[in-house]
Amino acid sequence: MLEHAVKSELIALLGDRFSDEPEILTCYAYDSFLEESMPDAVIFPKTTDEVAKIMALANRAKVPVTARGAGTSVCGAPIAAEHGIVLCFSKMDKIMEVNTADRYVVVQPGVINGDLQKVLAPSGFFFPPDPGSMNFSTIGGNVALNAGGPRCLKYGVTKDYVLGMQVVLASGKVVRFGSKNIKDVTGYNFTSLFCGSEGTLGMVTEVTLKVIARPETTQTLLVTFADLDSTARAVSDIIGSGILPVSMELLDKMTINAIEDAVQMGLPREAGGTLLIEVDGSREACDRERSQIVHKVKEHNVMAVEEAEDEADRNRLWAARRAAYGVFAKIAPDILSEDVTVPVSKVPEMIRRIYQITEKYNLKAGVLAHAGDGNMHPLICADRKNKEEWKLVKKAFREIFVAGAELEGTLSGEHGIGLAKAEFLPLVMDQESRDFMACIKKAVDPNNILNPGKFV
Amino acid sequence: MRESSGNCGKCGICLSVCPVYKVLKEEQASPRARVQLIRAYGEKRLASTPLLKELIAKCLMCGSCAANCPSGVDHYSSFMEMRSRLIDDHGDRLEIRGLVYLLARERRLRMAMGMARMGQGVLPDRVAARFKLGNIAVDRFPRLNSRQFRKTVPEEIAPAKEAGQERGTVLYFTGCASNYIYGETGEAVVGLLTRLGYRVIIPREQSCCSVPMLYHGGVDEALTNIEQNIKSFHRPDIKAIIVDCPTCGSALKHEFAAMMERFDRGELMRQKALDIAEKTLDIMSFVYSHLSEMRFSRDSSTPIPEGPVSYHLPCHLKNSFVSAERVLNNIAEVDYVAAEDTSECCGGGGTFFYEYPEVAGKIAGSKIDNIRRTGAKTWLTDCPVCRINLSARLDSADDITMMHPAKYLQQKLVDVIREEDGDCDSCNGL
Ligand SMILES: Cc1cc2nc3c(=O)[nH]c(=O)nc-3n(C[C@H](O)[C@H](O)[C@H](O)COP(=O)(O)OP(=O)(O)OC[C@H]3O[C@@H](n4cnc5c(N)ncnc54)[C@H](O)[C@@H]3O)c2cc1C
Ligand code: SF4
Ligand code: SF4
Repeated sequence: MLEHAVKSELIALLGDRFSDEPEILTCYAYDSFLEESMPDAVIFPKTTDEVAKIMALANRAKVPVTARGAGTSVCGAPIAAEHGIVLCFSKMDKIMEVNTADRYVVVQPGVINGDLQKVLAPSGFFFPPDPGSMNFSTIGGNVALNAGGPRCLKYGVTKDYVLGMQVVLASGKVVRFGSKNIKDVTGYNFTSLFCGSEGTLGMVTEVTLKVIARPETTQTLLVTFADLDSTARAVSDIIGSGILPVSMELLDKMTINAIEDAVQMGLPREAGGTLLIEVDGSREACDRERSQIVHKVKEHNVMAVEEAEDEADRNRLWAARRAAYGVFAKIAPDILSEDVTVPVSKVPEMIRRIYQITEKYNLKAGVLAHAGDGNMHPLICADRKNKEEWKLVKKAFREIFVAGAELEGTLSGEHGIGLAKAEFLPLVMDQESRDFMACIKKAVDPNNILNPGKFV
Repeated sequence: MRESSGNCGKCGICLSVCPVYKVLKEEQASPRARVQLIRAYGEKRLASTPLLKELIAKCLMCGSCAANCPSGVDHYSSFMEMRSRLIDDHGDRLEIRGLVYLLARERRLRMAMGMARMGQGVLPDRVAARFKLGNIAVDRFPRLNSRQFRKTVPEEIAPAKEAGQERGTVLYFTGCASNYIYGETGEAVVGLLTRLGYRVIIPREQSCCSVPMLYHGGVDEALTNIEQNIKSFHRPDIKAIIVDCPTCGSALKHEFAAMMERFDRGELMRQKALDIAEKTLDIMSFVYSHLSEMRFSRDSSTPIPEGPVSYHLPCHLKNSFVSAERVLNNIAEVDYVAAEDTSECCGGGGTFFYEYPEVAGKIAGSKIDNIRRTGAKTWLTDCPVCRINLSARLDSADDITMMHPAKYLQQKLVDVIREEDGDCDSCNGL
């Protein structure tokens, strides 16, 4: 419970944009992850100035503050683990400047990624990071989780597009990093530090993003393989030969069938694995890359190659990919989707290990991957109420992370650490490195009020 | 209570399609939140409170969340059940209760409409402009039919003479709106069907589709009504049941059978309801299946305003049937301009526009801005509530006429050219 004085001050500042009713708080106790925790209050600031006042107050009263965008994190990052205030940015949703001549946009953090794309589309520009949640997740959340998406194989992740930002520190002080310049090596690169910081270092209240010109054409292929190992080998072979598609999405047999059961999109149920491959650029470049890819996949036990004929066809294939996460929820009450990433040459080995581990424990599991950048999402469908099964799920994931670490991989390619993976951090970061993170955190947030209980 | 939230993966996909969330940008106004609130209530983490009722009720029941949920969560049924539970606990606004009471019996509704008509007649315009329902001035609401539409036509109407040989019989569910408010829509539907060669039966015994009652806790009343409708609509000899209102249509398609099952009304009633569901078709889909036989004219001597025509796609049409845009797009004589947000919700939602005028006003406001941008002089929409909600918010300076697409097409229809066998395509598969 918030102290009475803190509550009164917040109400004085925000009016009905403050709530501590249990019905409302219930709606801010979750994200797309399993664990939940009730905050004491939820607030909706509209300006940087309000955020600054809120932080100064919270710092003085030592109340935890957890930022929230749309709550689509799949690792529990915006869950108020130690209660306190959830500060929701969804109403700070203005696109403040679109400047295609200088190739940047300035946005408030609550702008939905997809809305930005819509505004940019007529000018022929786009913002490359396209998480599967792009139609509902916010730029603030994308920055704080350093979100990636299918296009990141070619275009990179959110941090590669953040030119500058305005941040409210725990103290309530407002600082700016970076600028509107594509080239800027002035001082520490704090914008990168904040990308992936999961709201533990400060509140991002404005972001300047680099945008780029939309390629002339995009071509999409759906390649079906007889078995998953061939699918994975095709991925590392294509990337290894120097071709760089925009995306290479891998779906295994279970995922394809789950999608077909749910939404009947005409995907090949008998395939061991499929790759949704997209190339973009000038027409000639696309044609060339596409035929190189078709040539390469044919060396790997390919069953069929389907080319999207038009935009509607492309959308159909992508809709299938985007539905993948949700359709698993149909299979079992609880879905755990992980995010282990390995160097792309190790993808076949990692997939083999994931299957060995889940089969050993007799778990229902599928693999979905942004395979071109080695980023895999093993998904396990289970029921938390079945305590025995749940123990096995946990064991399996630990082993998957250990396997990933052995293959020189990492804990998260895009979903972040949040509540889900803090305990696994030592697998990929030694004590000194974790101490260094803690040292930075202590310097900017000495009272540990920013999203406490997470990975630092 | 049925456990319908069990398999919500909390993915948030439904946030992107919910018209209420889009304007409020608060999780508590999202479908995902409603599912989680119902779950919390079911697990006894939340008590039944007026605020919980408000959070569950601040929903258009447009069905977009259910239509887009990859996990197949049945929002519709679980919201409906929760709404009635909360109304049982905390009551409803008096005027909404009154509405449910009226809709529950055709006789009561008839009487009330008669009185309302008299009221409209005696209320001076100056006064009417000052009174508001929701945030809409009373004088912006449509005038009621001077006579109930169903009274103006026989129960059975033969095919039009020029249609030649008869093609079969269809039933027409007029809904309350065409019967009491938009009689011209009813005339147009009958006109199109008979010109196409169909015998049209408008069962006298039909009553409200029950959706308003289901949304407002009148479950018992709804059940009686639905059973009555099933009895008068279940006829093995008919080819289709035509609806002009997408909400009635979605009730016939989904709710009738669901209610028979939920209240265990026996296998026979369930089968009859399923048969009705299968035969139910919206008038514009019916027209679409006959489009190749119909000839239209660009002739401006008809009373249709000149200039391009635009369209608003009602959510229940989008989520249960197919957009009438495909008809407009396929008639060369129609100068169709799509608005930027043709398929976005208008914020009407049954009584939503009355209960949450600010939210409805915001949702409708951007539709009005966009329709102005198209330059259209005629704005078509199938749903009577969308039409009331949108037309009432147009300025008199807008010079935009709203009507049902059936009315528009009927005015443009010059001729029906019968093809050889001439059977109704859409009915073949029924
Ligand atoms: C169906 C689905 C598909 C997904 N696909 C992808 C994918 O392809 N790639 C990917 O990377 N992720 C994906 N995600 C995960 C998630 O959507 C992204 O990480 C997204 O960036 C989260 O944005 P959000 O607005 O929902 O943020 P939230 O979940 O609300 O918050 C995420 C983190 O950001 C912090 N935060 C939010 N706003 C601010 C701010 N203004 N200042 C400081 N901290 C802030 C929060 O405290 C929290 O730690 C997916 C999720 C779902 C449900
Ligand atoms: S789309 Fe379905 S599964 Fe996803 S949050 Fe909404 S209700 Fe839950
Ligand atoms: S029915 Fe419509 S308004 Fe209600 S929650 Fe679903 S999408 Fe939102």
